[in-house]
Amino acid sequence: MTTMTEKTRRPSAAGERGPRFVIEEGSGAHWAVRVAVPLVVLLLLLAGAGLEPFRVGQLTSVLIFAIAISGLNLATGYTGLLSIGHSAFFGLGAYTTGVLIVKYEVEPLLTLPVAVVICFALGFLVGLPALRIRGLYLALVTLAVGVAFPEIVRRFADLTGGAAGMVIRSRQLAPPEWTGLRLGDRGVFLYWVSAILLVLTLLLVRNLTRSRTGIAMIATRDNELAAAASGVRIASVKTLVFGLSGAITGLAGGLFAMYVGALSPDGSFTLLKSIELITGLFLGGVATLYGPVAGALAVVFVPYWTSDVVSGHVSGILFGAVLILIVFLMPEGVVGRLERTARGIVRIVPRTHPSPTPKPDGSGDSMERDQA
Amino acid sequence: MSLLEVTGLTAGYGQARVLHGLDLTVEPGEVVVVLGANGAGKTTTMRALTALIPHGGTVTFDGAPLDGLNPAQIVGRGVSLVPQGRGTFSHLSVLDNLRVGAALRRDTAEIKADIDRWCEVFPILAARSGQEAGTLSGGEQQMLAVARALMSRPKLLLCDEPSLGLAPKIVSELFSTLGDINREQGTALLLVEQNAELALGLASRVYLLEVGRVVASGDAEGFRADESIRRAYLGL
Amino acid sequence: MDIFLERLFDGITNGTVYAIMALALVVVFRGTGTINFAQGEMALFTTYIAWWLTTQGVSIWIGALVAAIVGFLLGAVVERTLIRPVRKRNDMATLIVALGLFTGFNALAGLLWNSETKPMDGLFPGGQDDYVGVGGARLYFDALGVWLFVILMIGAVFLLFNRTRLGLNMRAVADNPESAALSGVPTGRILMLGWGLAGTIGSLAGVLVTPLSAQQLSLTTMFPILIYASAAALFGGLDSPIGAVVGGLTIGLLEAMITGYVDFIGGTLPQTAALVVIVAILLFRPTGLFGTRQMERL
Repeated sequence: MTTMTEKTRRPSAAGERGPRFVIEEGSGAHWAVRVAVPLVVLLLLLAGAGLEPFRVGQLTSVLIFAIAISGLNLATGYTGLLSIGHSAFFGLGAYTTGVLIVKYEVEPLLTLPVAVVICFALGFLVGLPALRIRGLYLALVTLAVGVAFPEIVRRFADLTGGAAGMVIRSRQLAPPEWTGLRLGDRGVFLYWVSAILLVLTLLLVRNLTRSRTGIAMIATRDNELAAAASGVRIASVKTLVFGLSGAITGLAGGLFAMYVGALSPDGSFTLLKSIELITGLFLGGVATLYGPVAGALAVVFVPYWTSDVVSGHVSGILFGAVLILIVFLMPEGVVGRLERTARGIVRIVPRTHPSPTPKPDGSGDSMERDQA
Repeated sequence: MSLLEVTGLTAGYGQARVLHGLDLTVEPGEVVVVLGANGAGKTTTMRALTALIPHGGTVTFDGAPLDGLNPAQIVGRGVSLVPQGRGTFSHLSVLDNLRVGAALRRDTAEIKADIDRWCEVFPILAARSGQEAGTLSGGEQQMLAVARALMSRPKLLLCDEPSLGLAPKIVSELFSTLGDINREQGTALLLVEQNAELALGLASRVYLLEVGRVVASGDAEGFRADESIRRAYLGL
Repeated sequence: MDIFLERLFDGITNGTVYAIMALALVVVFRGTGTINFAQGEMALFTTYIAWWLTTQGVSIWIGALVAAIVGFLLGAVVERTLIRPVRKRNDMATLIVALGLFTGFNALAGLLWNSETKPMDGLFPGGQDDYVGVGGARLYFDALGVWLFVILMIGAVFLLFNRTRLGLNMRAVADNPESAALSGVPTGRILMLGWGLAGTIGSLAGVLVTPLSAQQLSLTTMFPILIYASAAALFGGLDSPIGAVVGGLTIGLLEAMITGYVDFIGGTLPQTAALVVIVAILLFRPTGLFGTRQMERL
């Protein structure tokens, strides 16, 4: 009953049997996969763009949330810095874009880099406490940021419109002239902007997590002391990751401002948004590249379907229940589970790999994932 | 019938198995010592016996199996452990530490009497009764931990390296007190020790552990006399 | 002078409520090493139950009693079924479960009783004329009642901790769970009782504060209180019941005085101010005033 904290690492099913198909890197099959996957993604996106405007809008919000959750994933998933305050980054990004468009009549797309930079700075600041505290206490600090944000928006009403909110007129959101699109096409335009930015985000996350920095992040998460002893500069990893994480979620916030066109402090930037993002992340799969996309689909569509049946409170109950169930039943999330299954069937191995049978310690990047 | 009978005990941490089928017995009123190098599985044995970690094999105490019980239930059966290192409640007063030790007992008057008795045996506890345990010295804390474990009136007292980190003078005091307790109360003792010389002086029987198995056992006199064992295992 | 006294009274009233909510957090933290983020929403839920009973013609005192009992059961069941299985895994898992409960209980209250604000009866007379004059200021009976009630509750909790066996066992489990188990303390049951106790304390806090609060009973009533209580508990030291009380009163008085006398913050940034306190404490004195635990290691 009162066992001490034991770190058990279950060997994956795939790890024991080995995959059914092995694709060697650089082989013909590998190239085929590398060409086919982007092609399928492109076709799916094209199909999405051709739907009726309402559906395109829904898909746009999926893309935006996928970006936001990817940002959260960097801090919470890969580096183990739990944040309940990402609603603030989302909001700060949104308000940066909103204020720049409404007050300073800046071209919408140009506001996004500004939002990214400002959110990076905030993320960096929030990352500073992480140097001294962790776990629960860090969560408290991020909670503070998340709760404070709507209050601060209300306080600086001159800039933000305060509690009454701020409206971006649709004329100001017209696609730029060089696209050749008209005002009426702004839904499709935003859809493609979001899609491209999501792809870029995923590429960034993928490359980052495979780099030395990525290894440092994961090492920091799994055993901070050992990581520090191995020469990982914990301080810079944590602050950098928090900054980057905030920047990406802030980018999503900027897109969100263009998407909804109306901002209010109590609408989309409260703690509930943070919980939505966390739910999406855990449901999709912590520390998986595509988990945020799956999570975003759920976060957008599940409340939509359930709200057909009853009031909005049901989606709140559902979020709560899903969060708890995930912890108990599927700590690796949907994508994590799928990846594990897929590795049992197909595995891509480096060209020089002597044998497709994995080492007994269950090598493979995602095995390192926390059982959170 | 033996008081404690352990057969084929296995245990470990996560994937790493530390004990590979260990057999040992303790007779009523006996003092038994388990010797072995670091990593031989001495502490693991103690933790497995008191259900702090799960175990395989069977453990029978006083004629009934202990398998599947939780630590508190095992205390209820009459087995008490003085764990390695800090076995006290550092923010509780010395008196409260002793009271917690009697958590399963309902005989209020007898509990008071026992507290008085152990304060007599360990006078330092009486002197420090209102102080937080964390403010005591290492030796004082170890005495408190032993007294705390005895408050449940165990038939078998397990001690995990009671001498660890203590000054030699205090260690010999502690061991002679343990011997007194054994003689006067008839409490059986199962000690784990690295200090072989001292432990052999107290014990009647010995088990020698090596990588999770018993590699030798016998009575303490024989062990002390056996030159080859002394040199090979005890470093004496 | 009288306006100062009224602010002082306000501060004490809020402070006492923060103090008992902080006490609930401390009871949980001492036992489980966890901050129960859902404590406020669980209290909200049971406060709704008390309110609903009053709409059925039941006295608010009975309603409070029922809320306290339901709060106890809720806390105990949550610990046993949801927290204990995941607690040893890691911080994140516990936190996620707490967030799930937070969202779930809030939404459940909304689903059962809709999101409209509900006026709620107080335990004590709360009319315009129910006050005594103190130095020109009005001290209302309902505020005075809350003070007394809270003092009694705090006294009861201290007696429980320091004069009873159950309390001793709770302190032992909080101090060293392994040695507690080795002494025969049923640690699992003790943790369950601790969470139950916290649930009761939280529920009573909810029932006490709601009639006095400007927003009465709504889905957002308890969250700010949880924030202030967290600040209070951190300020006093998360493992110190005395700290919770001192912290609660301090935060309550600070809130009243800052709202009254500091123009820049005024009434618009109260939570932010409390949160600044939280962050500052975490950074500069993580153990709080009376606490003993090292937080960095947890």
